[in-house]
Amino acid sequence: MLELDSITSGYGDARVIQDFSCTAEAGRITALMGRNGMGKTTLLKTVMGLLPITSGQILLDSAPLERLNPHERSRQGLGYVPQGREVFENFTVAENLRLAALGSSLDHLDMLPQIYDWFPILKERLDQKAGTFSGGQQQILAIARALITRPKILLLDEPTEGIQPSIVRDISLQLSRIAKETGLTILLVEQNVDMVKTMADDIAFIENGKMMEKCLLEDLGPDDALLHRYLSI
Amino acid sequence: MDLLLPLIDALSYILILVLIALGLMIVFGMMGVINMAHGELFMIGAYVMVVCQSAGLPFLVGLLLAPLIVGLLGLLIEMLLIRHIYLRPLDTILATWGLSIALKQGIVLIFGPESQSIASPINEMITIGDFSYPLYRTLVMLAAILLIGGTFWLFLKTDFGLQARAVIARPDTAATLGINTRQLYRSSFVIGTALAGLAGALVAPTISVDPQMGLGYLIPGFLSILVGGAGPLAGVLVGGSAVGGANSLLTVWISPVAAQIAVFIMAILVIRLRPEGILGGRK
Amino acid sequence: MRPLVPLLILAVLFAIAPLFVGSYWVSQLSYYLIYGLLALSLSLVWGYGGILCFGQAIFFGIGGYVMAAMTKGMISPFLINSYLSLFCSVFAASLFAVILGYFLFAGKGINGPYLAIVTLAIAIVLERLMSNWYAMGGYNGLLDIPPLNLGLFWFDYELWDSLPIFYTLLITVFVIFAGITLLLKSSYGTLLTALKTHPERLAFFGFSVLQIRLSVFALSAAIAGLSGALFVTVDGFASPTLIGFTLSTEILIWVAIGGKEMLMAAFLGAILTRFAENWLSEIFGDYWILLLGILFMISVVLLPKGLIATPLAALERKLGVRL
Repeated sequence: MLELDSITSGYGDARVIQDFSCTAEAGRITALMGRNGMGKTTLLKTVMGLLPITSGQILLDSAPLERLNPHERSRQGLGYVPQGREVFENFTVAENLRLAALGSSLDHLDMLPQIYDWFPILKERLDQKAGTFSGGQQQILAIARALITRPKILLLDEPTEGIQPSIVRDISLQLSRIAKETGLTILLVEQNVDMVKTMADDIAFIENGKMMEKCLLEDLGPDDALLHRYLSI
Repeated sequence: MDLLLPLIDALSYILILVLIALGLMIVFGMMGVINMAHGELFMIGAYVMVVCQSAGLPFLVGLLLAPLIVGLLGLLIEMLLIRHIYLRPLDTILATWGLSIALKQGIVLIFGPESQSIASPINEMITIGDFSYPLYRTLVMLAAILLIGGTFWLFLKTDFGLQARAVIARPDTAATLGINTRQLYRSSFVIGTALAGLAGALVAPTISVDPQMGLGYLIPGFLSILVGGAGPLAGVLVGGSAVGGANSLLTVWISPVAAQIAVFIMAILVIRLRPEGILGGRK
Repeated sequence: MRPLVPLLILAVLFAIAPLFVGSYWVSQLSYYLIYGLLALSLSLVWGYGGILCFGQAIFFGIGGYVMAAMTKGMISPFLINSYLSLFCSVFAASLFAVILGYFLFAGKGINGPYLAIVTLAIAIVLERLMSNWYAMGGYNGLLDIPPLNLGLFWFDYELWDSLPIFYTLLITVFVIFAGITLLLKSSYGTLLTALKTHPERLAFFGFSVLQIRLSVFALSAAIAGLSGALFVTVDGFASPTLIGFTLSTEILIWVAIGGKEMLMAAFLGAILTRFAENWLSEIFGDYWILLLGILFMISVVLLPKGLIATPLAALERKLGVRL
């Protein structure tokens, strides 16, 4: 379980995230929604330690993370799929996956058959450079790369950005399946309503860096009232 | 045979230059740190041989000690100096410049400003037909080729290299995969400095060893990177060949000053015409 | 005129100094003034123009050699006028800067570390060139360079004594110091700030980044050239060390230790480092250079704004004035 307790952070003097508290329950998929510029990516970067935290606590299964470096947080069990995917374009698929294992433990390479089972395309193109992949394929690689580190929780930053709707659906279904099979906890930052409705158990809303509301997927209200309010759909 | 000797001398100079430039480039490519004291680390490698010689230690022991001692010094430099200014790349130039002055003067204080000479461990000549060349110089060339090949292998074929290249490409992403970027920076810095120390020790018997010798290699080393392009490691080979070859051959054929000026003009023309270096590639 | 007040105070302190010190120190102070001017030139191009020049002695040396060659009548016995020679020295230094700058800055250009290396390399190459150029004195340099002749037309007034030399330099240096200060307060200073922080936006607003870079590089070279020209008239001697590597490094240390982004700090950095060298190198001998290198490192790491600029800036805030 990931608990964010009154986090404040941002760039320089600009406070993008203010007093933000939220919990991602173990074994559930929590979607964090909000419009562009509301601080979603900033929040995930703060959780990963890529941005300094001004105040507040980040607890993963009750262990505080906020003083650790990014690589230590990764080893504590945070898996991160960054916005824009950020795969290593000059590396092959195999190298991208091996790199993730090197960061955590080479034993994690045991997972490869499982990964190939979930994402067969990676096995087909093991020796292809990641830079030649389409956006959707890169996204799959980025997710697989994060899974190899055997995270307790997977943080996904706008995985659907710039990807075809049909592939978005495939990825969402596959991720829900993986979560069900393995009991993986997921915190998903997203604007894509379809993906959220396909995957999420809980939905939280962020506005101007503040936590506004959290509910179950079923409780979105008649005609998705909350979505209309926080996403102006 | 008038042509062969200068060509082989040029090749031997190129190989040493590439070794030095590789060290510079690893540190620059990974951390964005310009190490102006790199030439002095090369010099200290040579002075380790001076000490070993006067202590009566075997030559091979010196060759072993030089990279160890200089690498250790590199570790100290990283911990005490570089670590604090990773995020201010321009300041690293100045700080390492200060370091270079201090190291140079430290050597002057201990050994005096005069040049030292190291006896070559092997005095035989290697003779093919009517051409003969000192065996030691030939061995140094072989060693340099092995070291260059080894460095390429380390960075292109091993797990360490995979992580290092990942950190060069996307430091933040690499860190979020659990890779300790600071640790990698530190090891790369130490590898770069140890390489310089070993290069200094290897060539010590073939050159005059004095406190000012570092700069004479630092600048051509940097010009090699500039001419070759800072992207792929292979750029160093091209740049080192162009700079080292021109410098070495023109020194013999015209004069040292003319050679320096010509190399310099070549470098400036490359900057003007091909800002990314001869091979191009990412900065 | 307010920005000039601290300058004026410093000038007055210098002006009354000969009342308290002997002629040895007066002539030392003359050298300090020239080094201060040289430091100003580097502060301008580096601290304000964002161009890290590791070879500032290039321009100092060019100025010095041109001045020496002309006043010694080596060009022509009729072209030995001090004013004309000063003009030519300054012109030669900045012309060299423009040509060099065109190669280095045009197009994508180079910056940061590469610029530092290239300028350092030029200084070394030129030093070797001058050492081998026998017509210009070669390794031994040019001796017996005449002093400044302030006379006009048929009057001659040669500066032989330390006091007139000192006051002439004092006026020259502080007039230029004031000129740069005012220039940096003008819209040109704003342009330079923009050049340092957001060059791409400057281009967007229709300014030529290349032109601004070249202008500040040339202006700085002109000032360095002038200080070199003044130096040889005082010293009477021009040697390859004027154009070379050691002096370039020294200038860099003065300005970095003093504070590159503050003219006053850079100026004082040169003077205080030189003073400390006079004084400490007797006590510490060869250890002085070691100390200087270490001091340089420490000041870069701990006080990146400069050893002198940091307290000066604090003083500024306290007094509410700009130095």
